[in-house]
Amino acid sequence: MKFHAFICISLGIAASQARAASEGEVLFKQNCSACHALDQQVVGPSLVEIRSIYLGKPDDFLKWCLAPGKKRPGTIDMPSMAHIPEAGLRQIHAYIMATADGVKEKKSASGDPFASSPTQNERPTVQRIFMPNSGPAAIAVALDSMTSLCWDAGSCRLRYAWTGGFIDGWPYWHANGSEQAKIIGTVRYTEEESPFGSMDGAKFKGYELKGGLPKFYYKLGSTMIGESFTALDGGKGFKRHFELSSPPSSGMKLKLSDDPKVSIESDHGRIEGKTLILTAAEAADFTLTIQFQ
Amino acid sequence: MNPTRAFVCSFGLLLSTLHADSWKDYFTFEKIKTPAGVDSQVGAMGALPDGRLAVAFHRGELMIYQPKDDTWTLFGSGLQEPLGMLVESPDKILVMQRAELTRLTDTDGDGKADRYETVYDDFGMTGNYHEFSYGPVKDKEGNLYVVLGVASNGSPIRKEIRGEFSNIGELSREEMTEAPGKDWGKFKDKSGRMYSRASYRGWLMKISPDGSVEPYASGFRSPNGIGFDAKGRLLVTDNQGDWRPTSPLYNITEGGFYGHPASLVWSKGWKGKDPLKMDVSKLDKMQVPAAGYFPQGELANSPTQPIVVPEGAMPEGMTGETIVGEMNQNTLIRVLDDEVDGTFQTGLVPFLKDSPLGHGNHRLAFTTDKSLYVGKTALSWAGGTGITRIRWNGKQFFTVDKIKALPDGFALKFSEPVDPKSVSGLKMERHTYEYHADYGSPKIDEKTITIDDTELSSDGLTLTLKTGPLKQNYLHQLILGHLHSKDGSNLMGGQIWYQVVKVPR
Repeated sequence: MKFHAFICISLGIAASQARAASEGEVLFKQNCSACHALDQQVVGPSLVEIRSIYLGKPDDFLKWCLAPGKKRPGTIDMPSMAHIPEAGLRQIHAYIMATADGVKEKKSASGDPFASSPTQNERPTVQRIFMPNSGPAAIAVALDSMTSLCWDAGSCRLRYAWTGGFIDGWPYWHANGSEQAKIIGTVRYTEEESPFGSMDGAKFKGYELKGGLPKFYYKLGSTMIGESFTALDGGKGFKRHFELSSPPSSGMKLKLSDDPKVSIESDHGRIEGKTLILTAAEAADFTLTIQFQ
Repeated sequence: MNPTRAFVCSFGLLLSTLHADSWKDYFTFEKIKTPAGVDSQVGAMGALPDGRLAVAFHRGELMIYQPKDDTWTLFGSGLQEPLGMLVESPDKILVMQRAELTRLTDTDGDGKADRYETVYDDFGMTGNYHEFSYGPVKDKEGNLYVVLGVASNGSPIRKEIRGEFSNIGELSREEMTEAPGKDWGKFKDKSGRMYSRASYRGWLMKISPDGSVEPYASGFRSPNGIGFDAKGRLLVTDNQGDWRPTSPLYNITEGGFYGHPASLVWSKGWKGKDPLKMDVSKLDKMQVPAAGYFPQGELANSPTQPIVVPEGAMPEGMTGETIVGEMNQNTLIRVLDDEVDGTFQTGLVPFLKDSPLGHGNHRLAFTTDKSLYVGKTALSWAGGTGITRIRWNGKQFFTVDKIKALPDGFALKFSEPVDPKSVSGLKMERHTYEYHADYGSPKIDEKTITIDDTELSSDGLTLTLKTGPLKQNYLHQLILGHLHSKDGSNLMGGQIWYQVVKVPR
């Protein structure tokens, strides 16, 4: 008799759990299935993993759903499920516990699946992406297979150059841009300020491509500046060509970087200390050669 | 069971080719082979006048698809998160990327863009991942419109930002900024769930043909859909979240505030008040009500681009209608428009739901051959990848073409005569939402109404449902699932969610 009662109660509990789970399935599909798959991480963790955390802990599950925190770096925060009533969240819990029972987690692939694709390995190339040590409107440029640079379209200036490889964009691309790209190689040159001084009020106008290499255009006051780059062979440095639409008739004094890791020469004007002095005619068209030491 | 229904049931199998009720009976769904080596998450699409399709992908490739021989050519590359496109001509394409609106031009006729001209970049960026940029769309006068999403407290801001920083908010700039070893989790609850600390985040901007720009409307959160409807209304969809009880559809008017308060700090003459500290009731009065709501989980979780159905692409009753994409669910959404005393309000209907369409429906384009291309994305949220081409096979299906709000119910116009015998047991559910800073809103004041009083016109095409008085600011869900046509076809899209902004007199 006792035994029978036990079975009856157990069956009763089992039946009510099954009911909860089937109602939970509908709610799960509406609210959760887009981000949570059965046996592998998609946007959020798998049901298998959720089960391992919340088996027998519906209250903890509820707490998390109402006010989710951040557990996994590099993934999206789960939005609150406060729009689902408590009973519904408990049904979802029951559904997950039942569905993931006995299922094993599948291993997911890691690394950039497009790392060796031709479009990603075209050289030279221009790629706009969030870059370290730059403003957010950064442009990464691979001049050739060895030398690359970061140009900042926000402040209209070169930020740094490096040799080695180009960028690893996977930290950005695998998700939604919450991480910056990584540079591959070694930074060989950093420019703290534009040769033209303060770029407040400078307006970025875009770029033209020639043989895949960009020529950036920006306006400083009434002067339109065109700036283009070519790599020196063997990762030894780069040339930087400037064209100014209407340089001041009194000529210009440009500030050259005092980065000790490079030597800088100009094909026009004269260099005194770290200042390049140009006549108006010279400023209209000149090239700097930056050699890595 | 009435005899007719019994007849339909018993012969249902035999007649299934004649009386189809699956989307596959009216549309073909074809997965397009995307270019090899390209991450096939689609950020933007546009039809070319010569029948080809321009597609911008997640990593910034802009490629042209030639459906005639199923080939791809590269037009441009290196763009950052393109999320909108406007084809000006086959060699001139505007693209909205994170940092700017850019015009790509092929100046030498080799089929590849060699000029990337900055058309508009005079807005702020904090480097936060959620500051997406959407658009452009163009009005009849040639003005362009783009709309700027706000940042998420999933991340702080970067050390270097572009544009002006707003000091308004509980956290100082230093507290908002990432730093080595800093636990952002200790600050994030005070930044606002979504925040606008760089200029014009959360605003819709108007760019005139002469290049001048004006802030046009505010209050946007994650407005991943912008487009003009056939009547020239500027529509924007936004995503459920803070200050968004569920995903809304907005009809944009100049100067309008569309509910998410973070952007208000960039209003002209704003006097330093923190919008998050304002009375919710005051903000509620300021906001322009949504013209439609996509109930979370039931209809859509992340609605996307609105697009107008061209003639011949869908059954005649849908010509000129707006359809909207949806990332999270296997569906698109039809927008049935209505107007009450000049106020635009809509009934939203699932379209191609649970068909081979799939998830991630992000960008839509009709090419000149009337194919509908659907480009998919996920960006690590719920979604999909690749492109599906959808073609209508010319067969009319049984569906609702129009909805008209009445003081005490709705009048529905169908594409085919309704079988009067199927008109019974219809239901309406309705609820409202709470406008608040919390993420999403539960349904408030839910009520189910049985619709007993109905009237079918003599031609069978117009069905009037007397539901009792409509309720302002409530989402009315008509459940029509088991209606069928006189020739036995099932109703395609058996639910309509109608947001009553105004009750007709």
